[in-house]
Amino acid sequence: MSVFLQSLLDAFADGDALRPGHGLPWLDVARRENRQALASSGLPTTHDESWKYTSLRTLDQRAFASSDALATQHTIDPAEFALPEADGARLVFVNGVLRADLSRLADLPSGLDVQPLSAVLQGDAESLRVFLARNFKHPAESFARLNAAFAADGAIVRVAPGAQITTPLHLVFIGGIASTDIAWHTRNIFDVGEGAQLSVIEHHLGVGTHANLGNVFAEYRLRENAALNLLRIQNEGERASLIQRSEFSLAKHARLHLNNLDLGTALMRHDLRIELLGDRAHAAVRGVFVLDQRQHVDNQLSVEHRALNTSCDLFWRGVADGRARGVFNGAITIHAGADGADARLSNKNLLLSAQAEIDSKPVLEIYADEVQASHGATVGQLDESALFYLRSRGLPLAQARVLLIQAFCAQALAHIEPAGLREHVTQLLQARLPQEMPA
Amino acid sequence: MATELTEVEALVSNRRYEHGFVSDIATDIVPPGLSEDTVRLISAKKNEPEWLTEWRLKAYRHWLTMTPPEWAKLDIAPIDFQAISYFAAPKEGPKSLADVDPKLLEVYDKLGVPLHERARLAGVAVDAVFDSVSVGTTFRKELAEAGVIFSSFSEAVKEHPELIKKYLGSVVPPSDNYFAALNSAVFSDGSFVFIPKGVRCPMELSTYFRINALNTGQFERTLIVAEEGSQVSYLEGCTAPMRDENQLHAAVVELVALDNANIKYSTVQNWYPGDENGVGGIFNFVTKRGACRGYRSKISWTQVETGSAITWKYPSCVLFGEESVGEFYSVALTHHRQQADTGTKMIHIGKNSKSKIISKGISAGHGQNTYRGLVRVQPTASGARNYTQCDSLLIGKHCGAHTFPYIEVKNPSAVVEHEATASKISDDQLFYCRSRGISKEDAVSLIVDGFCKAVFKELPMEFAVEAKKLLEVSLEGAVG
Repeated sequence: MSVFLQSLLDAFADGDALRPGHGLPWLDVARRENRQALASSGLPTTHDESWKYTSLRTLDQRAFASSDALATQHTIDPAEFALPEADGARLVFVNGVLRADLSRLADLPSGLDVQPLSAVLQGDAESLRVFLARNFKHPAESFARLNAAFAADGAIVRVAPGAQITTPLHLVFIGGIASTDIAWHTRNIFDVGEGAQLSVIEHHLGVGTHANLGNVFAEYRLRENAALNLLRIQNEGERASLIQRSEFSLAKHARLHLNNLDLGTALMRHDLRIELLGDRAHAAVRGVFVLDQRQHVDNQLSVEHRALNTSCDLFWRGVADGRARGVFNGAITIHAGADGADARLSNKNLLLSAQAEIDSKPVLEIYADEVQASHGATVGQLDESALFYLRSRGLPLAQARVLLIQAFCAQALAHIEPAGLREHVTQLLQARLPQEMPA
Repeated sequence: MATELTEVEALVSNRRYEHGFVSDIATDIVPPGLSEDTVRLISAKKNEPEWLTEWRLKAYRHWLTMTPPEWAKLDIAPIDFQAISYFAAPKEGPKSLADVDPKLLEVYDKLGVPLHERARLAGVAVDAVFDSVSVGTTFRKELAEAGVIFSSFSEAVKEHPELIKKYLGSVVPPSDNYFAALNSAVFSDGSFVFIPKGVRCPMELSTYFRINALNTGQFERTLIVAEEGSQVSYLEGCTAPMRDENQLHAAVVELVALDNANIKYSTVQNWYPGDENGVGGIFNFVTKRGACRGYRSKISWTQVETGSAITWKYPSCVLFGEESVGEFYSVALTHHRQQADTGTKMIHIGKNSKSKIISKGISAGHGQNTYRGLVRVQPTASGARNYTQCDSLLIGKHCGAHTFPYIEVKNPSAVVEHEATASKISDDQLFYCRSRGISKEDAVSLIVDGFCKAVFKELPMEFAVEAKKLLEVSLEGAVG
C-alpha cells in the first residue's frame, strides 16, 4: 500500500475513539466501511479516466500526520483572512479544527443556523445520517471515502424557508501552519430551505509553509425556489495539496450562482457536481485559475440535467505559466426526459510558457432531443495585434501583457457581488500575475 | 410538434438496406477458430514469405496478452473470437479480371460497382475485395504507365516485398490496439497503393469491400504510400448481406505522405446495420491512421458512416512534417439500435502543422452517436493550429448524442479551438419548408443535407451523390 494511505490508516485506530460522533452505530459503520473500501482500492491512478491528467504518484509516497494537536493554539492574525463586505457570521478552521476564538457565531440573522459538525455530532445527529452514512461505489472516489472515514469537523448550515441571508457567511479554511505535514478532512453540509437565499464565501488560504493536505467535501442542498450565491477563493500555500468535492442538488426553480477563483496550491483537484433535479433549476458557474511554477490544478465540473427546462451557463478561464499544468473537464449530461434543457459551456485558456500545459475536455452527453447544448474550448496566447496596439500607446510590453491577461480573467469575475468584494478578488488575482515577463 | 415528431420517426423507421442480398458463390472457408495454426494457415494459403508469417505470429502472440478496449461508449455483447471463420475466398480464384466468376461480377453490378471493361466510362480504378480476398483490380495497365502501383495486398507482398517490408506496420504497429493486433495476425487481403515521386495519380482509386460468407470476419489492410510531391484520391465503400448474427470487421488502414504529398481518403461505410431491434449487423472496429512525414504533406480523411451495428473508428493524423496538414470530415448516422463511437486524433509534432476537424453526428431512433477526438500539441509543434467543430442533430426522444473531445496543448504558440453544438431539427426550419409546400420527408432530408454539407463537399462527386442518397434512405421514416 502507498505510504500516504498507510500513514493515515495507521493513525485511524488511535484517533477513532476521539473523533466526534464515535459511538453512533450508523456513523461507526459508515466510517469503518469507507476506510476498508479505501484500503482496498488505494488512490486513483492516471488509468482512471477522471484522473487521466492528474497523477498522485508524488502524494502517494508521502506520509502525513492525521491530526494537529496544536491546531487550536496557532497564532493567526485575523487580518490574514479579512475580506471586505464579509462582516457577517464566520467559521474558521485551522488544519481542519474549528477555532472558536477566530469565528463569529453570535447574533446570527434570524433563519440562519450555523453549527460546527463536531457540535452537532455530540447532540442529535440523526438529521445528518443521510449525508454522513454514504458509501462511495466508484474506486476513483478515494478521497470521498477518505473524508467519510476521517472527517471530524466542518460547517453545518441551515437556512429556514424564506429567510434572506444576503450578508455572506464567511467560511475560512487555513492550512500549512504546523510543525509537520498534516492531512485534514472537513465535511460541510448546507441546507437552503424553500424560497430562502444564502450567500457564502468559501475561503482557503495558507499560513506558514508546511505541505499540508486538505480534503474538503461539501454538499449543498437547494430546495424549491432557493438561491445560493457562492464565492470560492482558493489562495492556499504554494506547497499545499487540496482535494475538494462539492455537490450541489437543485430542486424546482432553485438557482445557483457560483464564482470560483483558484490561485494557490501545488496540487489541487476539485470535483464540482451539480444536479438539476427540479424543473427550471438554473446553475451559473464562473471560474478562473492562474497558475505558475509547478502548480497543478484540476477542475472537474459536471452538470446533470434531470428535469424539464433546466439551464446551465458554465464559463471557465485558465492561465498557465512556468511549468504549471491546468486541467479542465466540463461535462454536461442531459438525461432522457429533460426536455427544454439549455446548456452552455465556454472554456478558454492562455498558455504562456513552453513548459506549461493545458488539458481541456468539454463533454456533452445528450439523451433527449428538445434541447439546446453547446460548448466551446480554446487554448491560445495573447492576441498579437492587441499587444501591438497597447505598445503603440506607449505601454511597456510586460505591462501590456499583464493588462491583457487581466482582461482575459476579468470576465470570469464580473458577476461577483458586491463590488467591494469583486475589487478585492481582482486585486488578489492581479497580485498573482507575472509582473516581469520575457519579451 | 410532438405528433409531427412521431410522424417523422415513423418516416425513418422503415429504412431499407438495399445491399442485403446474399450471393450463392462457391466459397472456400476455413473452419471457425483462432490459433497460431489459423494464422499459419492463412499465411500459407497466400504463399507468404517467412518474414510475414513471423510478423503475423508476433502480432497474434501480442494480441493474446491484450483485452478488448472498454473505454468507448458502446454496449457490445462479448465477441467470441473462436466462433469466427478467419478466411473465406471464392473457390475459383481469378487469374485476371477476364476470368472473374460471372456470378461475382453480377454481385458488383448489383452493387453498382464498375468492375468490368465498361467501367472505363466511370473512370475509377477499383480493387474489389470479396470476403477475404481481392477478386480483381481494374485499370492496372493505365496506372502502371503512370508509375502508380495499385494492387491487392497479397500481390504487393509478392511483387514489391521491399516496399511492404518498409511500410507495413510503420504507422499502425501491430501492438497498437486490440483490433489492430488481431488484424495484423489474420489480415487476409486489402489494397496497396504506391504513388511515386512527383506523380499525380491519373484517376481516383477505389476499393470496394463486400462481406458475403456466413460466420466470417473481414480483416483487410490498406497501405497507401505517397512519395514526394505526389497526389492521390482514394475511395472506399463497403456492404454486407443482412444476417441475424453479428459479423466482425476489423480493418487497418495506414497512410504515409512524404514531402508535399497529398492523400485524400474517402469512405462511404454502409455495412449492414442490423434490423430495427438491433439484431444482426456488422461490428466495425477499424484503425485508420495517416502519418504526414514530410514537409507540407497533407492527409485528408472524409467519412460517411451510415452502416454497421457498432462503429469504432478514429481515422487519425500524426503530423510530423513541418507545415503538414491533417483534416477529418465526418458524417455519422445512427438509427434504430446502431451505436457509433467515432472521431479522430490529430497529433501535432511538426512546426506550423495545421488540422481541421468537422464532425456531424445524426442520431435517430435508439441510436447512440459519440464523437471522441483528441487534439494534442507536442512541445515541438510551434505555431500549430487546430479548429474543431462537432455538431449533433437529434431526431426522436430515445436517441443519444455525445461529444468527448480531449485537448492537450504543450506549446504556448499553438492555437486550438473546439466548438460543439447539439440540437434537434429546428421546428422553425421545418415549418418554413412545409409552408413552402415541401413534404415532411423532403424537408427533413433537405435540412439534414444542409447540416452535412460541409462534409459532403469534401467528397468526390460520385461519392457525394451516393452519400446523400444513403442518408435519405437511412433516415427514411425517422425525421420530424
